Amino acid sequence: MSVVNEAQTGVAAGTETFEPKILAFACHWCTYSGADLAGLNRMNYPANVRVLRVPCSGRVNPQYILTALNQGVDGVLVCGCHPGDCHYVSGNYYAKRRLMAFRRMLQYTGLEPERFQVRWISGSEAGKFRDTVTSVVEQIRAIGPYTPDPALAALIDKGTDAQNPILPESVAAGEGGDAS
Amino acid sequence: MTVLQEAIRKRAAELLEAGEVVRVIAWGSGRFANQTSPLFVSAAADAEKIVFNDYCVNTLAKYALNEKVDGKIAVCVRGCDARAINRMIADNQMTRDEVYLLGVPCSGMKDRATDEVLPKCLTCTHRNPVVYDELLGEAVAEPAEEEVSGLRYSGIEAVEAMDREQRLEYFNEVFNSCIRCYACREVCPVCTCRECFVDQLRAGWQGKQNNLNENRFYNLIRVFHIGDRCIECGECARVCPMGLPLMELNRKWIKDLDELFAAGEEGLTDELDNTLGRYKTDDIEEFM
Repeated sequence: MSVVNEAQTGVAAGTETFEPKILAFACHWCTYSGADLAGLNRMNYPANVRVLRVPCSGRVNPQYILTALNQGVDGVLVCGCHPGDCHYVSGNYYAKRRLMAFRRMLQYTGLEPERFQVRWISGSEAGKFRDTVTSVVEQIRAIGPYTPDPALAALIDKGTDAQNPILPESVAAGEGGDAS
Repeated sequence: MTVLQEAIRKRAAELLEAGEVVRVIAWGSGRFANQTSPLFVSAAADAEKIVFNDYCVNTLAKYALNEKVDGKIAVCVRGCDARAINRMIADNQMTRDEVYLLGVPCSGMKDRATDEVLPKCLTCTHRNPVVYDELLGEAVAEPAEEEVSGLRYSGIEAVEAMDREQRLEYFNEVFNSCIRCYACREVCPVCTCRECFVDQLRAGWQGKQNNLNENRFYNLIRVFHIGDRCIECGECARVCPMGLPLMELNRKWIKDLDELFAAGEEGLTDELDNTLGRYKTDDIEEFM
């Protein structure tokens, strides 16, 4: 955890200068354009957010969210079109149902509600994108870094395992056996 | 019970004799008198090995998936088995005419270790099968609704009442205890994917380490995949070798979907109508 943060921000986690790392899934058809418009309008928003473009908010698999949190981001923001505006007609309606339930499940198992948020931001709402990102970053800066697995974080701090790779490198490179 | 056992044996023998089915799935005796295991009977003469007593804890429906390959099979179904069959038909895992359902009313099974009624049977809402070709014996009285509904959510309401740190600690302990044997997946009548996400090595969803991160990932995604279709048979929690309260995860999802989208109980019909597979334009809005 702290390794990632130090690498990204150059400061130790947990200090006053903690800079959170936020992953924002942005729908190509609305929020991504909204973020683009914010840039065109020279709006200022914190650089803590990493925008990841997805075709639709319905494309955001909850597995992405958990993986991101496990691998060192402090908060996840999912942004999509307003209900009724979906380019694919219904993607965000499905996303809404599953993310509402998934968000409750994460909170039930002890995650701070701030760490996973969902917002509808259209292509013209550059200001809303700026405000949302700013407020999410502020909230997460207030609650501090996310340590999903304290025991693992201690291992990483000791330098025994530089990363928490999903796969051994040999398998990721296609050298290992294939289960399928 | 003995009457029911005789009826199952008789009908199993008749069905096999007449060649209507190639196999009957029922319960057979285990090593001890208070232990049973699933039994697959292919010859009429073997029908007398079938037992039905207070310890028939296994939900049989999932076995039908592998057993229906060489002809029609008969399955003994109680409430939970019948809902599981409905579930698998809805999920296109089988068709209704591939299975002959011997309905067996059930008023709850006992845990062989403690001799008390199984937790999954305490919260059972359908003691009689919801679908069958013939019902053996007399239907038993369904439990009073208020009696079950209180028990059904009592576990998760206790957890919900804790504050966030306590819940985190509680579930960290649960996930830390998980050994990821995937028994909960194997036994689940909803988990019927040919290839599970945890086995997709190249996609790399699920790491192989046994640590809190990976265990939490597995358990939360398992619930995400099955939550809206869960028939609450409670098999996952029953088979868990670590005794983890897996139904407290499932029921949280079920309760939320019920409150948010009026999901209702699953597996009562064989039509696919899972809550996360449909939407309404006037669903509750909280992401504005």
